[in-house]
Amino acid sequence: APYDPMHQTYTPAAPQFFTPAAANTLGTPMSAYSQAYVQPAVAPAPNVAGMANQFGQMNMTGQHSSPLIPVHLIGTQPDVNALNAPPPPINLPPNASVTTSDYANCDPSYKRCTLNAIPATSSLLNKSRLPFALVITPYRSLKEGDDTVPVVTDTVIARCRRCRTYINPFVNFVDGGQRWQCNLCYLLNEVPNQFDWDIHANNKADRWKRSEINYAVVEFVAPTEYMVRPPQPPVYVFVIDVSYPAVQSGAVATAARTILESLDRLPNEDNRTKIAIITVDVALHFYSIPSSSSEPQMLVVSDLDDVFLPQPDDLLVNLFEARDALESLLRRLGDMFKNTQVVGNALGPALLAAYKLISPIGGKITVIQSSLPNVNPGALKPREDPKALGTPKESQLLQPADSFYKTFAVDCSRVQISVDMFLLGSQYSDVATLSSCPRYIGGQTYFYPAFNASRSEDALKFAHEFAEYLASPIGLEAVVRVRASKGIRLNAFHGNFFIRQTDLLGLPTVSRDHSYVIEMAIEENLTNPFACFQTALLHTTCYGERRIRVLTLCLPVTNSMSELFASADQIAIASYLANKAVESSLTAKLEDAREKLTNKTIDILGAYKSQLTSTQSGASPQLQICDNLKLLPLLSLALLKHVGLRQSSQIPTDLRAYAMCLLRTMPSQLLIPYLYPCFYSLHNMPPEVGTYGPDGIIMPLSMNLTIEKLERHGCYMLEDGQNIFIWFGREVSPQLCIDLLGVASYDAIRGGKNTLPVLETDFSQKINAIIGKTRESRRGIYYPQLYIVKEDGDPALRLWFLSHIIEDRTDTVMSYYQWLALLKDKVNAGSF
Amino acid sequence: MDFESIEEQDGIRFSWNVFPASRLDATRTVVPVSCLYTPLKEREDLPPIYYEPVTCKAPCKAILNPYCQIDVRGKLWICPFCLQRNAFPPHYKDISNTNLPAELLPKYTTIEYTLPRGAQVPPIFLFVVDTCLEDEDLKAMKDSLVVSLSLLPPHALVGLITFGTMTQVHELGYSECPKSYVFRGTKEYTSKQIQDMLGLAAPAIRSQIARPGQQASTQNIGANRFLLPIQQCEFTLTSILEQLQRDPWSVDNDKRPRRCTGVAMSVGIGLMESTYPNTGCRVMLFCGGPATEGPGMVVGIELKEPIRSHHDIERDNIKYYKRSVKFYDALAKRAATNGHIIDIFAGCLDQVGLLEMKSMVNSTGGFMILSDSFTTAIFKQSFQRVFNKDAQGNLQMAYNATLDVQTTRELRVCGLIGHAISANKKSPSVAETEIGIANTSAWKTCGITPKTTSAIYFEVVAQHGQPLPPNSRGLIQFVTHYQHSSGQFRLRVTTVARNFAEGSSPLIAQSFDQEAAAVLMARIAVFKAELEDGPDVLRWLDKMLIRLCQKFADYRKDDPTSFRLSDNFSIYPQFMFHLRRSQFLQVFNNSPDETAFYRHVLNREDVNNSLIMIQPTLMSYSMDAQPTPVLLDSVSIKPDVILLLDTFFHILIFHGETVAQWRKTGYQNQPGYENFAELLAAPKADSEELLADRFPIPRYIVCDQHGSQARFLLSKLNPSTTHISGGYNVQGQAIFTDDVSLQVFMEHLKKLSVNGPS
Ligand SMILES: [Zn+2]
Ligand SMILES: [Zn+2]
Repeated sequence: APYDPMHQTYTPAAPQFFTPAAANTLGTPMSAYSQAYVQPAVAPAPNVAGMANQFGQMNMTGQHSSPLIPVHLIGTQPDVNALNAPPPPINLPPNASVTTSDYANCDPSYKRCTLNAIPATSSLLNKSRLPFALVITPYRSLKEGDDTVPVVTDTVIARCRRCRTYINPFVNFVDGGQRWQCNLCYLLNEVPNQFDWDIHANNKADRWKRSEINYAVVEFVAPTEYMVRPPQPPVYVFVIDVSYPAVQSGAVATAARTILESLDRLPNEDNRTKIAIITVDVALHFYSIPSSSSEPQMLVVSDLDDVFLPQPDDLLVNLFEARDALESLLRRLGDMFKNTQVVGNALGPALLAAYKLISPIGGKITVIQSSLPNVNPGALKPREDPKALGTPKESQLLQPADSFYKTFAVDCSRVQISVDMFLLGSQYSDVATLSSCPRYIGGQTYFYPAFNASRSEDALKFAHEFAEYLASPIGLEAVVRVRASKGIRLNAFHGNFFIRQTDLLGLPTVSRDHSYVIEMAIEENLTNPFACFQTALLHTTCYGERRIRVLTLCLPVTNSMSELFASADQIAIASYLANKAVESSLTAKLEDAREKLTNKTIDILGAYKSQLTSTQSGASPQLQICDNLKLLPLLSLALLKHVGLRQSSQIPTDLRAYAMCLLRTMPSQLLIPYLYPCFYSLHNMPPEVGTYGPDGIIMPLSMNLTIEKLERHGCYMLEDGQNIFIWFGREVSPQLCIDLLGVASYDAIRGGKNTLPVLETDFSQKINAIIGKTRESRRGIYYPQLYIVKEDGDPALRLWFLSHIIEDRTDTVMSYYQWLALLKDKVNAGSF
Repeated sequence: MDFESIEEQDGIRFSWNVFPASRLDATRTVVPVSCLYTPLKEREDLPPIYYEPVTCKAPCKAILNPYCQIDVRGKLWICPFCLQRNAFPPHYKDISNTNLPAELLPKYTTIEYTLPRGAQVPPIFLFVVDTCLEDEDLKAMKDSLVVSLSLLPPHALVGLITFGTMTQVHELGYSECPKSYVFRGTKEYTSKQIQDMLGLAAPAIRSQIARPGQQASTQNIGANRFLLPIQQCEFTLTSILEQLQRDPWSVDNDKRPRRCTGVAMSVGIGLMESTYPNTGCRVMLFCGGPATEGPGMVVGIELKEPIRSHHDIERDNIKYYKRSVKFYDALAKRAATNGHIIDIFAGCLDQVGLLEMKSMVNSTGGFMILSDSFTTAIFKQSFQRVFNKDAQGNLQMAYNATLDVQTTRELRVCGLIGHAISANKKSPSVAETEIGIANTSAWKTCGITPKTTSAIYFEVVAQHGQPLPPNSRGLIQFVTHYQHSSGQFRLRVTTVARNFAEGSSPLIAQSFDQEAAAVLMARIAVFKAELEDGPDVLRWLDKMLIRLCQKFADYRKDDPTSFRLSDNFSIYPQFMFHLRRSQFLQVFNNSPDETAFYRHVLNREDVNNSLIMIQPTLMSYSMDAQPTPVLLDSVSIKPDVILLLDTFFHILIFHGETVAQWRKTGYQNQPGYENFAELLAAPKADSEELLADRFPIPRYIVCDQHGSQARFLLSKLNPSTTHISGGYNVQGQAIFTDDVSLQVFMEHLKKLSVNGPS
């Protein structure tokens, strides 16, 4: 009998995939909802008509909006452990999704909105003063235990004919399931026959089993229409500085050894990966790595006027085929320049050469740079000016000194090349300029100030991070398009990419765990009960498959100011604020950025006061905000005090510039501790902390970052994802010194960059376990460096540690309580 | 007069061995007072002299010689060139008429001083190797290069540059892996740029980096990265050569390979001049095709665009020629100024641009070898002969040579024709008249071998009517300073004296060396041909010949039948006849590269070899007679003889019709025909002998009458029987040519000579 979908009964499968997640851990797709769900919804299979019914049953927490819980800020120590709390629940109307799947809406680790309820009108939004932005991390890494992204492999891709939205859990099936209504533009589209009929097996198919109907995060294997050319192989060109400082610091040897040891970890499932190595001092050294021989050959090009390739073949080689010669080269590379006397570096020409080499394919250029390039194009001068630090002139130093690197990036983006910078300079490195290259092409900058491989901690950190970097899967030749429901306009994009068209972001390679912030506006009043945001990441996997990763987020629309505030996501807002602050620092001045940040915080608090409290415009001795935004003032202060933005005349430009690179790319999972470090008291931990619990190592509770926590006999750990500090009070017990460091007493402790010994003692094991857990639980490749800080030790190191104690007054910047008082005064004085 | 024994002693042959006494007389003798001088002519009998020569006061600086008057009591000598008195140096205090130093003995008019100071640097060999070659060719060249390494003295420095689309300078001193510096093939690099790009300048290292007490390592700085003693880098160099691949850049079917010979040479010369100026060095270029890119390109990349011919040059239809010549001339000058030698070894069926590049070889005394391929014996054996050694095991080549000529006041030097450039020495010996490389009395000759022969031209200064004292003579001193391949600096001094005679004196005519004169005139003609139109040169040659005959022949005016030439003039017209017909002046049957090559060889060889080139020798072998030299004439072709032609460049065995048939039948292998086998073998054996010390190796051709290869013989023969004249002549073979025969030429010569004003 001919297949007749009209008479088909749709039986959505019971979601087998759901298991209740452990509460309170960020990072699994369930976390946002786990508390909201009373119990897993295992519903009887309804037909289409019964669907509304079903949604009625799964009404989240049984109410349509989150309650507004006001809190008083002044006089209360902020609850820093709430930084790990999930965002406010998404209270969708009952008929929002066609599926009962618990994965129907997007996990915040992939995509979150500053507002988990969308204002129906722009006037509501404006009145609230709340930012309206998406924070997306489409290519986040997966740790052990994380859910993988389901893949639709049959290349049946249903998209809206008008707005090209991908079919998703929030569409409507109409006409007896024959058509689906787009949830962004509301056009009716035909459901593809293959949704109900498997043409390969030639029998019925179950559309309810399709991943794109059940999962907000899904990946499609793209058919050839999505390719302009066959999927390219992963291509890596390493541009390694081999000038005198680079060789002396051990950067060359460490980099070469790490690449050598990582050859098996590089993405190369199907043996297509290609590699080239260019070393550079005042000349370019290419390496001919023939597959026919185990002997590499060095070809020096000193004529840098108009860079050329010294030979047509064997410079960019297949990793599998040329493995022998490549290994032989990498083994020798550390020694090849050991006698060099050459100071000077031609990074610009080297980049142009790398471009020439791989532009027919595209790929990654990885720069290992240890000195300031001094050959044009792209020659830089040591322009650090200590007198300008802390003055309005400082912003100039944060802007690129030479447009070459940006221009080069734009050229690269056209041919699918991205650049990552590893900067290991012992002196001024001009991070501000060099980071402008990765910024526009989805790359990243990694900075290792004063690197010296003879310090094992330095070598270990760089080698570890570089190795992780090499092992990371990369997406190639990618574009990201973000779509939002009719009425919502995308206004501005923040992050490392190149804007191809108004809403198309070009990413020659997609870096793992990069976050992007997209500002939005309400263009027309929203009349539907919910709004959708769909991000499509079209990319080539490193094993040569063209894929589209689709992230769909559906949020309720509200007319209520109260609901708007109650659904605001302070973590997403912090990401937004960090991006905006970096943007203003670079386009205007640091003080403008700080002022804007302060004003935005005041505005939000002011709007809350005038709209949602009884005091409204009158003076109030208290400062109120809703519970879900209670950490916003703290996060704003953390940003103001962050090394990237802090008012100070002591912060080297390189460190600031690097901090800004991180602020604008970090996913919130990394950003929050980077802004507000975790602070643990070690000497008086409860006994179970540091031992194995049901979820792995039991971590200590975070403390407020204030000096009053520091006791003279105490031992503390502070970590922000980049560094780990262990503080020893002057009167720390000798037993602790013996147990943790194996030294007799405080006096015998050596401060500074260090590695904790692993001792047989219980305490040592626990602390090492906590550090190990801290290092492995973060996303990204970062391997925090450990510093031992003595209360009366190296003043610079002590000051650095104390600069993280942000609730106290530091230097010129106010304490948290002063900050609240200032906010209160401004809120009282202003009108909102 | 025994010219050859003079040549044996002094390596010199003069056109006139008695000089006309006045400028006017000299003009009337037509052939200028001139000589062919072979400064390093091998002399077994030279005394070993290990001291500095005694020289006259500055600026004269003439060297003490047997023609000096000495006062043994006063310990004085009088310089014959400037007539100054000089005191003998203190260590000559024991001098007496019976105890004279060798340089004053009459038999040592040529003497060689081995100077006490040696060269700082051993000889250097920089190979510049084309890689745009077919695999077979490349392999042959690589093999030859590898073999040559074993022929070099172990302390010699070697370097390697390879080129194709780009130029690569190989850093032989780098131990980690093969390393080379790559230069664009399309760009003209200055010497300074090359120096910087190779890192030859002092490294830009900041002073604070060098720790106190620590000497900056010089190990990897400078020239010793690229030029190393062969014993130190033989393994590296051999393995690079063995690994050498064809230029990797692809070549379309309708294109020539991209070949940047010009850049390669400029990089090589730049490397040498910045590392080892004024040091003995050979830059040896091996090229398998024309430069198609960058400075010095001789033809475009498109195959449809042919390489320039003589006709193109004549019609001035040459796109790259002038710029290219200018480029290579500048390189030649730089190399020569630094005493560096450039050799070109061409292995290509087509032209490689020798015409454009020739000055690099000619100005530096280099070798030029033209072969169809690097697989040929011509290349392989010639290249090997470059490394011939003398009895002491030293390479038979000298480096960084200069030649100084000094004359007594009655004579001045007009110039030199040979492989040299002017050293711009303005001395009283410099003449007003210019012949060849003029306006100087000294030349840099850079590379010389025991065979290198220069032509030097003089003028007589004395005005007519100012009679010279009786028995007065003119003195010429040739001083050659060079670096011997053993590393010593040496000074070869030849001082010659010739009597003057009044213009009417028969002594002058009797002293005429017609062979030397023919060669000396040939060099002038070829020199002119480089600058002037071909027909003008021929007219000039004819005019000079007629004038010579008018002056020295015996005839009655207007009676050609009365025309007689004395013995020592008698074959001079014949030389001129063949010279006119030779490839040196009739260029259209050859490519411009071949012309450049032939002229190059003519300008370096001695009288005997040059005469073979001008008038090839022909030997006839037959069953019933001893091998005999026969006329270079079509009448010499007979069915039953074998001819052996030696043109210097070709050695050809020609079997007459009958002999050829017998040979094909195989009689020589049958018993009873041993005579015939011997006949066949005889010319072969003789040709082996000719080949033995010939350089470059000539092309060896064996052909039969009426075979296609026979054209090489026919083109050289005097067309006494042509298709026009000799249809019925039973003797010889008719030659298809419009050229006049020697007989016709001689008739004209007689007529013109007797008709002219006497
Ligand atoms: Zn649509
Ligand atoms: Zn003198």
